[in-house]
Amino acid sequence: MQTLEKNSTQKVLHFLLDWAAVIALVLCFVVFTALKGSFFMSPGNMVNILLAMSITTVFGIAATVTMAPDGFDMSACTLASCSAYVFVSMYLWYGLSLFMSIVMCIVVTLIMYQLTMFLILVCKIPDMLATCALMFVHQGLGQWYIGGGAVSTGMRVPHTGAAPARTALSEAFSNIGRSPYIIIIMLACVLAAFIFLNYTKHGRFLYAMGGNKQAAKLSGINVKKYRYLAGMITAVFIAIGGIMVAARGSSAQVGCCDNYLMQALAAVFVGRSVGGAEKPNALGTLVGAMLVSTLENGLTICAVPYYILPAVKGAVLALALMAAYAGKKEQ
Amino acid sequence: MDQITLETRKVSIEFPGVKALSDVDFQVSTGEIRALVGANGAGKSTLMKVLAGANPSYQGEVLLNGEVVELRDPSAAKKLGIQIVYQEVDTALIPTLSVAENVMLNDTVMNTRGRPVINWSKMRQEAREVLGRLNIKNINARTLVQDLSLAQKQMVLIARAIQSQCSFLILDEPTAPLSDTETVELFRIVRHLRDTENIGVIFISHRIHEIIQICHQYTVMRNGEIVGTRDVTAETTSKEIVEMMLGRTFEENFPKEQVKLGEEFFEVKDLAGGDGKVNGVSIHMKRGEIIGIAGLVGAGKSEFCKTLFGGYKQTGGEIILNGKRLKIKTPSDAVRERIALVPEERRKEGVLVNEDVSFNLSAASLGKFCVASFVNKAKTDANARKYVEQLGIKTPSIRQWVRNLSGGNQQKVAVGKWLAADCDVYIFDEPTKGVDVGAKQDIFRLIYDIAKAGNGVIYASCENSELLSITDRVYVMYDGRIMAELVTADTSEDEIMHYSVGGTTAYVKA
Repeated sequence: MQTLEKNSTQKVLHFLLDWAAVIALVLCFVVFTALKGSFFMSPGNMVNILLAMSITTVFGIAATVTMAPDGFDMSACTLASCSAYVFVSMYLWYGLSLFMSIVMCIVVTLIMYQLTMFLILVCKIPDMLATCALMFVHQGLGQWYIGGGAVSTGMRVPHTGAAPARTALSEAFSNIGRSPYIIIIMLACVLAAFIFLNYTKHGRFLYAMGGNKQAAKLSGINVKKYRYLAGMITAVFIAIGGIMVAARGSSAQVGCCDNYLMQALAAVFVGRSVGGAEKPNALGTLVGAMLVSTLENGLTICAVPYYILPAVKGAVLALALMAAYAGKKEQ
Repeated sequence: MDQITLETRKVSIEFPGVKALSDVDFQVSTGEIRALVGANGAGKSTLMKVLAGANPSYQGEVLLNGEVVELRDPSAAKKLGIQIVYQEVDTALIPTLSVAENVMLNDTVMNTRGRPVINWSKMRQEAREVLGRLNIKNINARTLVQDLSLAQKQMVLIARAIQSQCSFLILDEPTAPLSDTETVELFRIVRHLRDTENIGVIFISHRIHEIIQICHQYTVMRNGEIVGTRDVTAETTSKEIVEMMLGRTFEENFPKEQVKLGEEFFEVKDLAGGDGKVNGVSIHMKRGEIIGIAGLVGAGKSEFCKTLFGGYKQTGGEIILNGKRLKIKTPSDAVRERIALVPEERRKEGVLVNEDVSFNLSAASLGKFCVASFVNKAKTDANARKYVEQLGIKTPSIRQWVRNLSGGNQQKVAVGKWLAADCDVYIFDEPTKGVDVGAKQDIFRLIYDIAKAGNGVIYASCENSELLSITDRVYVMYDGRIMAELVTADTSEDEIMHYSVGGTTAYVKA
């Protein structure tokens, strides 16, 4: 009997740890509702939370796809800044249609990502180090392209000094960054990544590589091809993230996406253990991003000064991670 | 020199649901070499961990020279002079540090209070002295441990063990990864330690003939209990030890089944590769045939298997299957050509330990279970149930993660994955390594079934007795080359060994 009881308490503990991120999220909602119920729970504020988390989530999804086969990309968000420059410049400077600007942005991001893949797959540099170097390359190349200043309405084209083809942003352009479109884009990205990773053989192969690359290779999985595939999918999500940032800010500021990296990675790490998955997964990333954004929103409403927000946010993240990794050693 | 006796009285250990040790009375003295044998899960390692202080929750008493001692943590055991060298040497060594640092690690950690500065020349000198006590001359104290061979790493660990006070040395399956010459060297060191330092050595091994060679006495364990302790005499046979281990009489040779051979369908000509360890290997095979690759550790057997499978770069020669010349650059090419490999390191290479049984069994053939790239879960599960039943894989459910299965069952999963992929050529690299006698027979049966279905099997192993009982023909490898092609029915272990050590002259039957 004794062993049985021990097992059931272990099971409860395991359940709590597996769902720690979700429980933390629910707790946030309960606490903030108790403190500032009417305002916090209003539909308008719920939309605020979703708006704020949408960009982090998309970058998080990009990181999730990279990390599924045990890859890593530190340069994701500096590349996203480049994507944003390309997107806005195509639209404003060269007068391409919105659709063509999006296509060009994705294509250029894919091309830039070949360099990442070259360093990782051909030169065999560890992911972390290769992308660390590329972070600087992206920053430099991107700013060279935009001539060191932001890409926004009313600015002349650098290098040539020509007048831009467009002087204003259209309604459709701005809509990408507004509710409900930006939220729909985020949910579509999460859904696409979720289906790809969990229900296609390609996704299962990526997870197999993440679990044990050598065993995956000796099962006949073409590991290089699949790492490349993961990279290309990551690049598409990076481009989408860049476009969202530009649309939301109505311009492409210098380094506009750079700061999203750590938040996105935090979302992936928090979401890793959701439901006992123990691997980077799309739904977990969504939960992780939502936790970060809810906290930020709730604390602001509770009039916590903005300048100490990061400390509180970081502490709660650390707690969620502690729960996620607490059960690890036992096994 | 005084004799010290280490004794356990009624030591028991319970894990949730299992009694790993029950009332074990075990005794060993300095100056003797004692073997501890038993099937997998018999409790050998658990008992040794108690003595090493790594199992603090034991019940019962441990006595040293008749006095009760508490072995509740590893440092307590070390202080009493009980040292253990675990099977996985890499877990105990720091690869990026030098030999001297690794040998002197305990000393550096424990005895440097108030001495913050490392005296390098003194440390190296001391390490050299310890190695000298073992009569080891081929290891430089400045070398980084990551550059050593496995056998040398083991020597470093033994050196570390005797560097601090040591009356008892526990060696957990030390010879499993060693070649025969390395084993001889290890035995020399063990005997040397007994003679010059009066150390009591406890020796865990699955290789029965080694025990007969080196030990004075052997203790047999079964199901967490001691079955008995006997002296090793000239009359001791491995059959008697195995029977004690299993608790039943044991048919030593697996009954050889005759499989009807089909046409020649697979040929390898002058294959080279494997990082320079395969230099022109030619073999041929009929349908339904089981061919053995014999040779010592380091002869290039694993490298040959992996080169065939695309795991190593092929630098020369050709592979012909069903009259077609194959171009194999990566394992995925090999799988496409219906070649399967069950690799030697199963946890590291053969199975995906963090995935469930169902996914593992379909991992090599997932395409078959997909509709437009989408995995059909019902189909993969049906496939998993089929092979779990057919292979007798013991698992609570097909959703169980493979890391929770026992070694033998993991091996069955590693094989089952390829059965589902329906290949022509199955390569097995040391499939019985670390598998107990019962599961071994299951694996042999499986291999026969594969051959009976008209496929070819390549069976690489350094266990010559296994090769003799299961194969039709044996190729003996030495230094990346085939030394001889032998028909199993007309050969002997001696003949295989003759060619394994590089014999170029024809073997003369004694």
